Amino acid sequence: MRGFILSERFKALMWKELTDLVRDKKTIATSLLMPLIVLPLLGITSIALMGVQEVNIAIIDLDNNVSYNPVLNISISSKDLVSLLSNELKKYGYDVVVSHNESIAENGKYDLIIIIPKGFSRNASSTTLRAKITVLRRAGIQAAIRAESLVNSIIDFYSRKLSEIKVNAIVKMTGINATLESLLDPLSTRTVLIGIGGKVVGFEVEFRSYLARILVLALSVVIMPATSFIIDGIIGERERKTIEMLLSSPVNVSLIIYSKLIAASLLGLLTALADAFGLIAYITSISLVYSGAIFFLDPYILLVHAIVAFFTILVTVAIALPFITRTRGIRSASNIASIVAVAGTIMFFTGFIVDYTKLQAPLRTILYFIPYTHSILAIQNYVLGYSFEPLINIMVLALLSIGLILLSVKTLNTEKILLAPPT
Amino acid sequence: MVVDNISKRYGEKVAIRDVSFRVKKGEIFGLIGPNGAGKTTTLRIIATLIKPTRGRVYINGIDAIKNPIEARKYIGYLPEEAEVYPRLTGYEHFKFYSWLRLGYVDKNVIDLAINLSGLGERIYDRASEYSKGMKRRLLLAIALMTKPDVVILDEPTSGLDVYAAVNVRKTIRSFVKETGITVILSSHNMLEVEYLCDRIAFINKGRIVAIGTPKELLSKYNATNLEEAFINAVGGEEI
Repeated sequence: MRGFILSERFKALMWKELTDLVRDKKTIATSLLMPLIVLPLLGITSIALMGVQEVNIAIIDLDNNVSYNPVLNISISSKDLVSLLSNELKKYGYDVVVSHNESIAENGKYDLIIIIPKGFSRNASSTTLRAKITVLRRAGIQAAIRAESLVNSIIDFYSRKLSEIKVNAIVKMTGINATLESLLDPLSTRTVLIGIGGKVVGFEVEFRSYLARILVLALSVVIMPATSFIIDGIIGERERKTIEMLLSSPVNVSLIIYSKLIAASLLGLLTALADAFGLIAYITSISLVYSGAIFFLDPYILLVHAIVAFFTILVTVAIALPFITRTRGIRSASNIASIVAVAGTIMFFTGFIVDYTKLQAPLRTILYFIPYTHSILAIQNYVLGYSFEPLINIMVLALLSIGLILLSVKTLNTEKILLAPPT
Repeated sequence: MVVDNISKRYGEKVAIRDVSFRVKKGEIFGLIGPNGAGKTTTLRIIATLIKPTRGRVYINGIDAIKNPIEARKYIGYLPEEAEVYPRLTGYEHFKFYSWLRLGYVDKNVIDLAINLSGLGERIYDRASEYSKGMKRRLLLAIALMTKPDVVILDEPTSGLDVYAAVNVRKTIRSFVKETGITVILSSHNMLEVEYLCDRIAFINKGRIVAIGTPKELLSKYNATNLEEAFINAVGGEEI
């Protein structure tokens, strides 16, 4: 009977929390819209902004000459390279100016200057010399780095074309049997991607790995709304002066906290689902722009992500709870929650750049004690194709969440919740 | 209800010291004192919200310090600065507190609360739309609706206009007459106390300085009103 009454009282608390949550349109909207908007916005804006960055490129052809090699019977013109560079760069939307005057480099307008020196065509047509091209790039501009990378590929292509002409000429002259590859690339390597147990896997596994990193990073987006909600639930009740009547009811304070935790976790679950949908939108926008096709996500990845996000939220709230209940007001509680959230974000950022699955002892052992490590490992292990390990990670995360919550609730003090500590 | 020698310290600061009194069934007992005298601390201890540094409180024979949850079943409490849940309607407040206090939603309890609150059709509006007086009536109805053995009212008319305050006082008085519940209330409004209370305790600087019926106190301190009696009781010392 006692259990029944307690459970009925818990139902009453849950009813109040959920009714209040459902009617709190602003919180619901923020929690759902933030991940739904942030990730696609990240994809769309980065793509859009990348496209509109102006990079001014100057090609200075100081050679402006055609050179004939009578031995090989070939002619090389600097104009061919200039024309190739200019056309290809323009195709990618770059502003390209061609000049034969070196002083153009001094006006400071250009982010990338390609200098084809005097004697270029002579050297390029020779069998003993190398033709050199100088690329001046303005430091610290990402768009200029991308443009330089494109210039290098065009020059590589042209260089290979010259090699082909020269090799063909030599082969023709000497009458020997030779191919371009055997002379230029006598050694070759082939990389085959393998998964667990040495099974050959496709390139999509690499993409899944990239996705895992994004998923780990995305966890940082979902932890804040739930912590804000729990802060509002506890400190807000004190500040709105509703807590005294609530605490005078015949229920244990832990029951009140559990009801708030469950409501916060449900909000967290909604956020996690929104996060997953936001991720789909992000991946779709990226894959559409870069490959022109829609990449279909493995739904199980999203399921794993949602479960991991749920427990990550729970663990974050559990860590913040003992501090939240001992603060003077919403502002200091928010500061504490921010510290916990920032610590989580730092961990998730390391998860974006570090393969936690490859970390060695004793660091890995130490990290096992940090709940967020299991959030990261669960996603990374699943993406790598493991099935048992992510399950263990999720279970550890769940146990840590529940353990921390029980510990947090055990250390709760009604007086401390009711009365703000003195300043 | 017995309050036996309770004291409360917050670090170095003594909030109340050796406070003792008994309240009989069906009695309205008033705790009078200036701001910071220790009224709210005493009422919060009786309501089992805070633990005394020492002393005991018994409600219906239950040691409220040792068994606070059991004791709360017999307590209704209206804090001084209580507020409503803005996103819940008045009706939902009654439903919630009936469910929470009794373990089930009792329609009769809700009907009584609606009646006590006098909110009429406004009971289905969100509480955020209520005036201060309506909110206070709603909260008072919550404290009374389950007819608890002991009702603790901390400054029940605090911040209300004259009409709203009169309304609240009438509700308290008639409800106690009808049901025979015990009420302990705090106030610094001497008129209110005189109108409502059967017995009064003067409290100053955390100590009870006098206890008696209004008549007894007026006579004992040779005063024409309770304000005067209070000042005489504390010996004119700074309050």
